[in-house]
Amino acid sequence: MSNQSMLIDLTSCIGCKACAVACKQENGLAAGNTFLKVWLKEYLKDKVVKYYVHQACHHCNAPRCQAACPVGAIERREDGVVVQDEDKCIGCQVCVTVCPYGGAKIMANGKAGKCSFCKHRLKSGVPSACVTVCPTQARIMGGREEIVREAERRKAELLGKGCSTRLEGINDIQTKVIYLLPE
Amino acid sequence: MGFYIRPQVLSHNSKPMAHHGDMRTSICSLCNGGCGLKVSVDQSAKVQAVFGDPDNPYNKGKLCPKPMEIVQTLYGPDRVGYPLKKVNGQFVRISWDEALNIIAQKHLNYLNNDGSGSIVGFTSKIGGSYSKLALSIFSELTGMANFGTGPICYDSEEKVRKAMFGSGSASTPLSDAIFAKLILIIGNNCAQTKAGQFQWLQEARRAGAKVVVIDPRYTETAQQVDQFIQIKPGTDGALGMALLHLIIKNKQYDEEFVREKTKDFDQLAKAVADFTPEKAAQITGVPQEVIEKLARDLGTSRPAMLWPGRGIVCVNNAGSTLLAFEALMAILGNIGKPGSGIVSHINGYGKANNLVPPEAVVKPHRKRNAQELYQALEEGEIKMLYIAGNPCANWPDSNRMSKGIAGVDFVVCHTLVLDDSAMLADIVLPAVHWLEESGMQAGINRVMQWKEKTGEPYAEAKSGGDFFRQLASKMGLPVSCFPDNPEEAWELERTHNPAIVGITVERMRQTPGGVHYPCPENGEESVRLFANAVFPTASGKIELLGDKRVELKYSDPLEAPGNAGMLQTEYPYLFSTVKVAAHYHTECQYSEWARELEKPYVELHPLTAVELEVTDGEELRIETATGSLVLPVRITHTVPRNVLFTQPYYTMKSGYETLPVNSLFPVACDQAGGNFVNKNILCRAYAERRLGR
Repeated sequence: MSNQSMLIDLTSCIGCKACAVACKQENGLAAGNTFLKVWLKEYLKDKVVKYYVHQACHHCNAPRCQAACPVGAIERREDGVVVQDEDKCIGCQVCVTVCPYGGAKIMANGKAGKCSFCKHRLKSGVPSACVTVCPTQARIMGGREEIVREAERRKAELLGKGCSTRLEGINDIQTKVIYLLPE
Repeated sequence: MGFYIRPQVLSHNSKPMAHHGDMRTSICSLCNGGCGLKVSVDQSAKVQAVFGDPDNPYNKGKLCPKPMEIVQTLYGPDRVGYPLKKVNGQFVRISWDEALNIIAQKHLNYLNNDGSGSIVGFTSKIGGSYSKLALSIFSELTGMANFGTGPICYDSEEKVRKAMFGSGSASTPLSDAIFAKLILIIGNNCAQTKAGQFQWLQEARRAGAKVVVIDPRYTETAQQVDQFIQIKPGTDGALGMALLHLIIKNKQYDEEFVREKTKDFDQLAKAVADFTPEKAAQITGVPQEVIEKLARDLGTSRPAMLWPGRGIVCVNNAGSTLLAFEALMAILGNIGKPGSGIVSHINGYGKANNLVPPEAVVKPHRKRNAQELYQALEEGEIKMLYIAGNPCANWPDSNRMSKGIAGVDFVVCHTLVLDDSAMLADIVLPAVHWLEESGMQAGINRVMQWKEKTGEPYAEAKSGGDFFRQLASKMGLPVSCFPDNPEEAWELERTHNPAIVGITVERMRQTPGGVHYPCPENGEESVRLFANAVFPTASGKIELLGDKRVELKYSDPLEAPGNAGMLQTEYPYLFSTVKVAAHYHTECQYSEWARELEKPYVELHPLTAVELEVTDGEELRIETATGSLVLPVRITHTVPRNVLFTQPYYTMKSGYETLPVNSLFPVACDQAGGNFVNKNILCRAYAERRLGR
């Protein structure tokens, strides 16, 4: 399962937060520690725009956290997964500060922590825990091209229905996790 | 030179699962959705984690957060492990034998001195099919009257449907949605309440169905469908009657079906004759054209399905509203065919008969409805209570209920955790969790699935099935009537109920997704009810006006029980509860994860917030004639003006330490004599800071 990408389609998300709980279960995170936060966002345009924000590591192609980490605890692997080594982490929290997505988070023990793309599952060819549980296919995983194609397809379909959306992670800034957001 | 050590960093913040241990198949028993689970169990038979079962054809491996959260409550600090007895206000551990002896002696004492009516059960969380059967046998032998989930959830719905169709159960599996052309979802945020099964609506839309949501709030469900119709709270009945009016006026009903299979059509037509869309538009706030368009869609899109939710059931005019919409489905001929009918989590399949020899049956010497129970508690008529549930939080006017329970001579509470009700008990008994008890679990897809026990019971926990059998033995009742284990219980139930005699444990085990019921001796499943258009009513037809105890007449929610006689000048807002996906009843609040995800709040429209001079996060005091509660504000455009919405889950004796929201709801039932009301109750509100607190 190398070179996998993930699509997070916030237009299909029903806000059940199963992904957030599955993440905690899979990664053995005690209360207070989270890799993935989900919350409701709402604003007024010509209509009410309402969706659930999924805040977690986007697995950037050029991670700022990696560049900023003074002890080299963060590394972008060959398959694009950005991993953090907790043992190396000194808890300076610079990564938390530089991340534009709020992906790296401060954990209860003072160190930083972040989504690992469920790298321990990838090894055995199983998709990440959050993807496995999602009841509405708001989270899907697959090869990069396949996922980009599906993202574009969903975007076009929504546009056909008069909903404008935008894609994050495939254009100027490339990330392993692609977001489809309502506009 | 000094040292600076942060001891926390010695611990790891994340511990990814190394392996998933022994995986056992189970069925989630939380919301009656019936999602298949894979439960990972360690060597000491402790549940480690819960996953979706990819082989279950209904949830296909998908899950909502609740079954995962529930693992934390299994071995959490709140779990009761041993029988406890209250001595001088403190709980002390006793043996099961001692507990059973005390209960048996007390029960016999009250039975002989005060009659069977002095002993009542609150049994909404009694357990699986094994425990339910044992309870019903025990109740028949002792004349104990029980109050289950009905009064707090579905009584109105079941009563109305039973009167119309002869069965209160759902007529159609949710999975039938893929055959439907139109799906009408009313007062039902199933994206949150049945999240694990929500994919069926997406599938249906992909297959070409139009899904319409009618709700006062712009819910997660409303966001995901083709049309959202925002309606004034509690006025759905008016919309239903106008739709009937239009369908009949435009002759868009199924004439043959109406002639052959329904009764009282003329009376129905008369009842809605003056309910024009103009009138309905005025009441509901839904534009007339929208109502007319919906009627046209219903008239031309067949088959169509109806999925009513608590938004039109737990309200003070539920009876007539349900009657209108279900009659609508009936006259359109949307009954019994694939992709038609009514979806519901009510999955009644009839009672097993003759489990107790007639000479041993004891009838309760007093009959009371749920409302009368309060008075009976207060006046000391009830001497002993069996609690398997949390009535102090789940029943309305919680304060009154708690006082009532506290005043009862002897209270036994069979429970997972020391919740608000258990704290009032004299004897607390440790109950098994649903993951620790095998049994039949029905679901939203009209199937019976066999749920295997996954973990071993925690500490000395016992199921209701074992408890009632052992108690019966101590009381000298005929123990031979009771089954010894879940498999035996199902065998007994199946062979004494002709509707399900074809569903053996083995068959359920071997069929992924389970067996549709009814399933008589010949073993034939019924995917949907009434496929042969025979209705078990007196006339054999659909009785469009039910048993006439509920009148098809629009009743204003402000004039209906709970609000009647209240001054709107004093109580200018409406107060309702709505659900979130991370919680189910009061069970999930004992999970740390759930507590992290959800905190109580009250939703306000921005203009209401301006009126009340509160901003996001500020505390708002909400007062009804029954009680008051302080909640932080969340301002949102997704709710209508002048209506306040909060969540119904939180209690004092949990990590939330919040007054149950039921403290604000009056002891009132709708006209169907159905269930209690926990929506659309008049209230007033103040910014807490303005009160100088």
